Amino acid sequence: MIYIIDHNDSFTHNVVHQFSLFDKVECDNYNNIDKTKLKKASIIVFSPGPGKPKDYPITSNVYNKFKSKKKMIGICLGFQQILFCEGAKIIEQRKTFHGFQSNIKVISDKSLFKKGKTFKVGRYHSLKLKEPFKVKNFDITMRCLESKVAMSFENNKDKIYGFQFHPESFLTVNGNLLIKKILSA
Amino acid sequence: MNTIKQLTDLHNSGKSYIIYKSNKGFDLYTNFSKKIILNKKNIYHFLNKKKNIKKSKNTDLFIGFFGYELLNNLIGVKIPRQKNINLPKGIFYKPEKKISLTKNLSYRNEIDIKQKKIFKININRKFYSKIFKKFKKKIKEGETYQIKICTKYKTKSEINSLDFFCRLSKINLAPESFMIKDKNYSIISCSPENLIDKKGSLISTKPIAGTVKKNKNMKKNKALNYFRKNLKETKEHNMIVDMERNDLSRICKAGTVKLLKTKVVEEYKDLFHYVSLIKGKLKKNIKNIDIIKAMMPGGSVIGCPKISTLNLLNKQEKENRNIYTGSFGYIKFNGDMRFNIIIRSILNFKGISEISAASGVVADSNAEHEFNENYIKVKALIDLFK
Repeated sequence: MIYIIDHNDSFTHNVVHQFSLFDKVECDNYNNIDKTKLKKASIIVFSPGPGKPKDYPITSNVYNKFKSKKKMIGICLGFQQILFCEGAKIIEQRKTFHGFQSNIKVISDKSLFKKGKTFKVGRYHSLKLKEPFKVKNFDITMRCLESKVAMSFENNKDKIYGFQFHPESFLTVNGNLLIKKILSA
Repeated sequence: MNTIKQLTDLHNSGKSYIIYKSNKGFDLYTNFSKKIILNKKNIYHFLNKKKNIKKSKNTDLFIGFFGYELLNNLIGVKIPRQKNINLPKGIFYKPEKKISLTKNLSYRNEIDIKQKKIFKININRKFYSKIFKKFKKKIKEGETYQIKICTKYKTKSEINSLDFFCRLSKINLAPESFMIKDKNYSIISCSPENLIDKKGSLISTKPIAGTVKKNKNMKKNKALNYFRKNLKETKEHNMIVDMERNDLSRICKAGTVKLLKTKVVEEYKDLFHYVSLIKGKLKKNIKNIDIIKAMMPGGSVIGCPKISTLNLLNKQEKENRNIYTGSFGYIKFNGDMRFNIIIRSILNFKGISEISAASGVVADSNAEHEFNENYIKVKALIDLFK
């Protein structure tokens, strides 16, 4: 079962819809996290949401508790949340990307995806990862072709993955394939 | 039978009635046997009520509106104290008579009162810019991705609702237009936006985001180009499409939510709209109340994400939105529903007519442009008072 933690977002159910194509999905609001479901879940997903990682301490607790015990995936805010828990700073970017379609590229050979491959993806974020960011086993694997902003990280040792963009958006081409690959990793 | 004469007689008789745009023309509903005034408590009972259908009649339905505040209450969003004219939060009627009308409505107003109506706006240009700046900061900080500020235009006046509606539908035959005439209030609307169309287990929604003024140089194909090249309009639209997909995904079977039309242009009297159409198949055991809670208030008139943006909006807006960005439509006894988003509307209540409009603040929108866009949206309605 995949357990999705919803950060009060208007895109969370697109994520639910997408993951439901591959497995049974349960979804609860971050204020309403169910401990039994958390334990039962094989994968925990942190949804997108408004605000910044500091606003969601309960989610941080969940991450710290299950790190390296379960596969975890973060999307947009969820991506930032995981990195924040790993000590990263999340900062405002000059340009805001809300409803934006961008080309991104796989830049690392440690990625599950082929180095050099490009994707068209949908973005909704005003904040970004402050770089340089160096934490053991965490690799930035995709970047925006234009702005070079970090678009995904992979920790293939602990099975932790994050996307700054939205694989569930209609603006993302082949988003289902991206998720499928991460789920079967 | 001369239905137009029937309509005139009905109007002059002072009886309450409702007109709603149908595929071919309009449907008229009257002879109301029930009138249900909704509040945040009885709405659950109203929506969950089991209806006995022995023989199905074309009047087996409730028709009416949910106001904005009621829809907030339904999803657990509180509205702080606001200036309030105390219009009921929602009203539904059970009609006993339905008449089909052609699309060419006409009404001769016997008494022609020439009145000059001056509309007052509740937020002036300068104040609008200030609010605009504040929300741009919130966007930068990630608290909202898009937010729609509502401005209100008001004037003291009694109006002849049927006369207004006939003239309005002559110049603008909007697919979701309607009017309600009751004893103590009336609503005239040329809403273009369908929020819920539910038949059996199929459901669709048709969000509008993106508006451009029509003129000699701006034809339909040029409008499409304009929208495509205009990054701001495109991004605003994308956001709403993903948001409506989300709202449908709450209540639809996995894999069934699909975009049927993506970013097409629709033409109206004074403007062009950028429109998409999204469909899905409902999960089993989904009740109408679940659908209404998932879809309303419609995202395109709020902003995104819904809950945090509603909270920001409600804190900012000092006057109750009343009907504006609520929903009008019907629920049939067999469970089918059709609802619009109440925009482009005149509410006449207690001798005052009010018209509201909203346009979006996104990261790269411009206060001056949005302020003017609000005016473009209400212009056709204000012109009716001339």
